[in-house]
Amino acid sequence: MTWQDDLQFYSMHFMPYVHLPPDQQQYDSLWVDFSNKHYDPQKGYELYQRYFREMVLADQLGYDGLVVNEHHNTMYSMMPVCTAAAAALIPVTTHAKICVFGVPVTFVMPNRLAEEYAMLDVMSGGRLEIAFPLGTGMEYWSNSVVNPSTARAKFRESVDIMIQAWTEDGPTSYDGEFYNYRYLNVWPRPFQRPYPRCYVVGTGSPETIAFAAERGWGYASVFVPIAQQVKTFDRLRETMPKYGHEMTPDKAMANTIVYVAETNEAAEREVIDHIKYYFTIAARTTPRFLNPPGYISLEQFRIRAGAANKMHGGFDWDEMTKNWRVAVGTPERVAEKIAGWCEEANSSRVICHHHIGDMPHWKVVKNMTIFAEEVIPRLRPQAKRAERPGSNTLRTLAGAT
Amino acid sequence: MPTAAARQAKRVPRGFERRELNVNGADVVLFVGGSGEPLVFLHGAGTASGFHFSASWAGKYTVYLPYHPGFGESPDSAAIATIDDYVLHYLELFDRLRLDSVRLVGLSIGGWIAATLATQNSHRLKKLALVGPAGLRVPDHPTLDIFRLKPEEVPAHLVHDLGVLAPYAPDPRGPDFLEFLVNDYHEMSSYGKLAWTRPYDPDLAKWLHRISVPTLLLYGDKDRVTPAQQAETWAGLIPNATVRIVKDAGHLVLDEKPEAPQAVLEFLS
Repeated sequence: MTWQDDLQFYSMHFMPYVHLPPDQQQYDSLWVDFSNKHYDPQKGYELYQRYFREMVLADQLGYDGLVVNEHHNTMYSMMPVCTAAAAALIPVTTHAKICVFGVPVTFVMPNRLAEEYAMLDVMSGGRLEIAFPLGTGMEYWSNSVVNPSTARAKFRESVDIMIQAWTEDGPTSYDGEFYNYRYLNVWPRPFQRPYPRCYVVGTGSPETIAFAAERGWGYASVFVPIAQQVKTFDRLRETMPKYGHEMTPDKAMANTIVYVAETNEAAEREVIDHIKYYFTIAARTTPRFLNPPGYISLEQFRIRAGAANKMHGGFDWDEMTKNWRVAVGTPERVAEKIAGWCEEANSSRVICHHHIGDMPHWKVVKNMTIFAEEVIPRLRPQAKRAERPGSNTLRTLAGAT
Repeated sequence: MPTAAARQAKRVPRGFERRELNVNGADVVLFVGGSGEPLVFLHGAGTASGFHFSASWAGKYTVYLPYHPGFGESPDSAAIATIDDYVLHYLELFDRLRLDSVRLVGLSIGGWIAATLATQNSHRLKKLALVGPAGLRVPDHPTLDIFRLKPEEVPAHLVHDLGVLAPYAPDPRGPDFLEFLVNDYHEMSSYGKLAWTRPYDPDLAKWLHRISVPTLLLYGDKDRVTPAQQAETWAGLIPNATVRIVKDAGHLVLDEKPEAPQAVLEFLS
């Protein structure tokens, strides 16, 4: 099976809070200790209204999945409880998979999260997909009742408990290093058997790769440079067979920023400030918050401390379009770029960030629509292309100008 | 890169010998100097400023300066993750080195370990000196949560006179800077195992009455990590306690004022 046989497109939203004070530049981090006095609930309400409409539109346009995730103490995302966002999407969408990518399981009781996910799966009639993140370093400062030095061990144990809760008839018991369960017996059980499709979320660290390989799960790379994503999937292809699993294209989830418009110039002009906002403002934080004590091994720390971090506060457009999964331009150009990435990484799952940074609603709608009508049909095999009605959006735009 | 001898000279007084030991599975590095009855010093959460204050102690005692597992040159030990683990580790180290009637001196988390050890095993000790000890909950004068500090804020919280730390401050453009950061991350990670959720043991106060050896509580009056006002609470709980406050010094009082290690020496004698 190649990447082309089963190509799917997910639309991901961070739901950032974008009404920042004019002096935001003076804060070296917009995470962890950036005061919530800057949050206006009225504006937050309006943003939620708009962001959910955008995700509903993605469902109507035929995207295969809607992705939400979770961050804490930050304007980067208004979803500290991403299962709540998923629950809100279920009754207003019809066919897209609801992808919770996801709750850092170390911050909650594992039986409780097994229940929450099972609820979402049953409520949606089996549309749930799950990814397990360890949580960024910043989350451990914001949830400091959890010790980052034991987070990886606790993560593994918590996932074991959830899988046991979903796969064995209850009540069972569990005796672990962190948790003891007397009656593990979650109601409801998941709609999908044995349980919803699961991925590991990560930057490509050896620990998360090993974890995905052991279970044969997919790997949802966070937004890191292309070379790092490709290397991660290569390592998974090497490692998975050792555990009796096969690395297939649907297990390689590529994370992309896309923007489509009438011309390459128009696309670039319309999106560049929003991408810049995302990297230099929304993602801005400090090395201290990225690496809480005990969160990474000394070897990983040595690598990270020795290299400037390009993700959290820096911005170089040429570098970004060359080395990162940023596809901006006409449908032809964007489709060509994505096809190249999928070919190179043998990936059939593409996560698209259609909303980025402080992008206004009209651009999100335009981007999402043209991408669905003009990019996706170019990438799907002919048989599937025929099912699609074709696009009028670009023709209409051309007529209007 | 500096030579091993140069690195050692930066950390310990002249004449100390570096030893490597395996204590029931835990690899440790320690420095030993002087002669006489045993004096063991348990360091705090950061070891970058070394142990030069111990020079005068070596004139009278055999001074042992072990790195805790997970700090300085001692690697992590899978078995050691809590204060009680460190207490048992040091009892095993005493056994291994055949140390009894130990004069035990502990700074900061070293003081936390030493005080906890003394609640359970005072009979292994001759005297106890706690220098700006961590570990006790004192709601009116709480121990500083150093994890709230930005890196650049740390030095001014450790000492009253920043010049004391100048010889140990790394050059950000120098070849050793990365290793300095790695060592710091290692020690903060080990400290985090003990104190990430809170920098004290809520149960310690219940058992300090069991310390049966003479105990010195020594502070700099400008201590911003474990405020000198905490001395009163410790002294109220430990039966035979003496308090000594040194003027114009911070948490690293032993490095800042020669009278501080001198006060320890006089108390232990």
